[in-house]
Amino acid sequence: MSKEAKTDWKDSNWYIGITSLWGEFSKHKIGVLGIVILLLYTGMAITAPALATHDPSPTNKVAPSFLAPSWMSVFDPTGVITQQIIPDPSWDEDPQVTVEGPQQSQFSYDHGDSGSSVGESHLNLTWNYLAGEGLNFTKDPEGQLPDCESFIYATQSFNWTYNSLPSDVNISLSFATTLTGDFQGREEGGLMFRVYMWLIDSSGNWRRIYQSNPPYSQDVISRRVDLNYFDIAAGWGGMIERDGSQEDPDDILTIAVGIAPTARFEYFLGSEPWRDYNGSVTVTITNLEMVPYGDYYGILGTTDKGADAWSQLVYGSRISLTIGILATALSTIVGVVVGMTAGYFGGKTDEILMRIVDFLLVIPGLPLMMVLAAFLGQAQETIIVVIAVLGWTGTSRLIRSQVMAEKNKAYVESARAIGASDTYIIYRHILPNVTPILFADITLGVVGAILSESGLAFLGLTDPNQPSWGRMLADAQSSGGFSAGAWWVVVFPGMMITILSLAFTFVGHTLDQVLNPRLRER
Amino acid sequence: MGLREYVIRRSIYMFLLIVAVVCFNFFLFRLPTFVFGVSPVDLMISDELKRNLTRDALQQLYERFGLVPDPDIFDWIYMFWRYIVNMFTGNFGISFVSQKPVMDEIMARLPNTLLLMGTSSIVSIILGIWTGVKVAADPGSRKDVSAVTVALFIYALPIFWLGMMLLMIFAFYIPAATNDIISFPLSGTIDYQVWVEAKNDPLGTLIIAGNIMHHLVLPMIALGVGGYGGYFLYMRNNLIDVMTEDYILTARAKGLDENQVLYKHGLKNAMLPMVTIIAMTFGFLINGATLTETVFNWYGLGRYIFDSLVILDYPVVQAIFMIIAITAILANFIADLLYGVLDPRIKYG
Repeated sequence: MSKEAKTDWKDSNWYIGITSLWGEFSKHKIGVLGIVILLLYTGMAITAPALATHDPSPTNKVAPSFLAPSWMSVFDPTGVITQQIIPDPSWDEDPQVTVEGPQQSQFSYDHGDSGSSVGESHLNLTWNYLAGEGLNFTKDPEGQLPDCESFIYATQSFNWTYNSLPSDVNISLSFATTLTGDFQGREEGGLMFRVYMWLIDSSGNWRRIYQSNPPYSQDVISRRVDLNYFDIAAGWGGMIERDGSQEDPDDILTIAVGIAPTARFEYFLGSEPWRDYNGSVTVTITNLEMVPYGDYYGILGTTDKGADAWSQLVYGSRISLTIGILATALSTIVGVVVGMTAGYFGGKTDEILMRIVDFLLVIPGLPLMMVLAAFLGQAQETIIVVIAVLGWTGTSRLIRSQVMAEKNKAYVESARAIGASDTYIIYRHILPNVTPILFADITLGVVGAILSESGLAFLGLTDPNQPSWGRMLADAQSSGGFSAGAWWVVVFPGMMITILSLAFTFVGHTLDQVLNPRLRER
Repeated sequence: MGLREYVIRRSIYMFLLIVAVVCFNFFLFRLPTFVFGVSPVDLMISDELKRNLTRDALQQLYERFGLVPDPDIFDWIYMFWRYIVNMFTGNFGISFVSQKPVMDEIMARLPNTLLLMGTSSIVSIILGIWTGVKVAADPGSRKDVSAVTVALFIYALPIFWLGMMLLMIFAFYIPAATNDIISFPLSGTIDYQVWVEAKNDPLGTLIIAGNIMHHLVLPMIALGVGGYGGYFLYMRNNLIDVMTEDYILTARAKGLDENQVLYKHGLKNAMLPMVTIIAMTFGFLINGATLTETVFNWYGLGRYIFDSLVILDYPVVQAIFMIIAITAILANFIADLLYGVLDPRIKYG
């Protein structure tokens, strides 16, 4: 050991072998191209959490089914791209806050940034009430405004550039509520106010889209609001051009979030709370997001279940690379051990091992994989083992023939003559001499494993919660993806499989050209 | 060792291999029983049905399917014995699902599978050999490099995806664009409507054949392209190898023109290993192509294996496995014999 440590690592056989191999390899264009593609895929697999825009689970619905990729909207200028449109969703900037009505002094607001106690930027809207102060109420059950004339709200506006309605709109609002005094102490305190959301179009029409109900929590809770058709028509309808003119003066839509006292504050079950209530209501808004759904979504659109296709595609590279490489590693180890043993020892051992190989070769490959995968379960490890079980026969035959050629050479005999053990000879002398042949075999084995995995996934025999390219294709096939015109769920996953296995094929083919002495002579 | 002795030895070996496959199948398809403790009886008969049936009726059902109630170790031996006897007498049992003999079910699908696999194999073999010979005359040329790249691309292509792409283009987008003037069926082997109408038509057979051909085109192209890469590369490499042999040099030295050398001396020798490969291919035809048949909803054996597997109809799956293994073993044997007959240099041993 100490002797080895002294020698420079650059003098080692491995280093010299690899550098000279690279020298030969880099002369082949397609081989280098293959390596570059493999590096790109590996990078994609490693950075998948950063690249993916959503949780990649195939059942994670983020939008309606079969929305087209965003970039396809260049062919369809009026098409609506699905994206979050609130300019400042986390309230980082100082917001615009308005107080309505005669009792302005009861309402106040406070904008905090990430340094405050909440830990993130937020907007506090406060209603502070002293007993007997009084408020003006106008009760209009049909109206869009609150019962009380005085209230506070914060607004954010955005520009709606499309000339068509969104097909659906989801809004999510995160807020915490802090109550003091009688609002906290009394049982009915939570009924005295409400948190509202409105849409205000540029003509100044208000449309109430959300009102809160007790109980309230001091922790931040999220409310998700799915607008109905009438809300959407009221908010967006005036901005759609018909015959060259539109109802509203411009294409700006405003969303307002506010708190207002309710009519119950004036008169509640025979009592009059406004006479004796003392205390305050503070609503801390931390997040407001609005996603109008259109015909286009994300980088690669959505799948049949409304999940984001791009995120699945990115995470699919992990599955294919892991299963492809691990299954091949496993089958190569088995194949090398079997091939070595059979080739080196010969005789009865060889006979038995080669009969097992013969046996595996007459069993139909894919059907056997299907049977094993169906019976043993869908875990990733199972799939790896199932693919490896059938993959080692070719390797073992290759290694066996190589070992049989090597073992009668003089260097092996001299090693045996000086008393080297069988294991020593195999691993020290024979293995290094057959490794070159193995390289090409391994890379081509990975192609087989990747294609097998995608085939099994296509048949639905892998874990249904794991995003993989084969499963994306299976979903596209079973849900009639392209009959719905959704070509992107068919084209891209298959392209990913093809390019990845093509890269391995290129590398394998080049290694074969470089290392196989029979081919090198030409 | 003579041919006679070789055939006898191989026959004994083949028989042993078949026995091994039969035993393997028995345990493979009872894996759920061994691993998860699910009795095959449970798979077949629901608990409710079991409670409502009389003992005698249950006993009859078990007998019919070659099962025994509550299998303990002795019953397993009995089941194994019955299974072995059935397999070697060609009695593959009754499908759990359709309640028809498995053999009938297989025979109904076999022609479809043979048609699809046969035509696509022939297409890919002919194309593979033809282009292989064309480029092998001039290895390293532009033509050769691009043909090899195409073949590698095909090797890397998932065939079921190619099928989906073909369906998308030729059965969806092109019919939509050309108003159904050019269109291919989206799925299936034959249109039921056509079949019903053709029964009373004097030219019915022709119409049916035409309809099947129409359905056959896309899956045949998908499988044909899928197989092409392998044959091409094999043919090309073989021929390039042969062209470095001494007898080619001799032929050239005799002054024969290059075409004659290539086709008469080169191709003849390079075809030898091709013949065995082709024989093997036809042995594996019966395998079907599960993925492609699934994509095109083709009524064939490949899809039948998968469909039966999903619903644990294992009499069907084990019968198909058995048949595939036997044909593969026979094809291997025939390929070996054929090689010896065609190439007098080979000695049996």
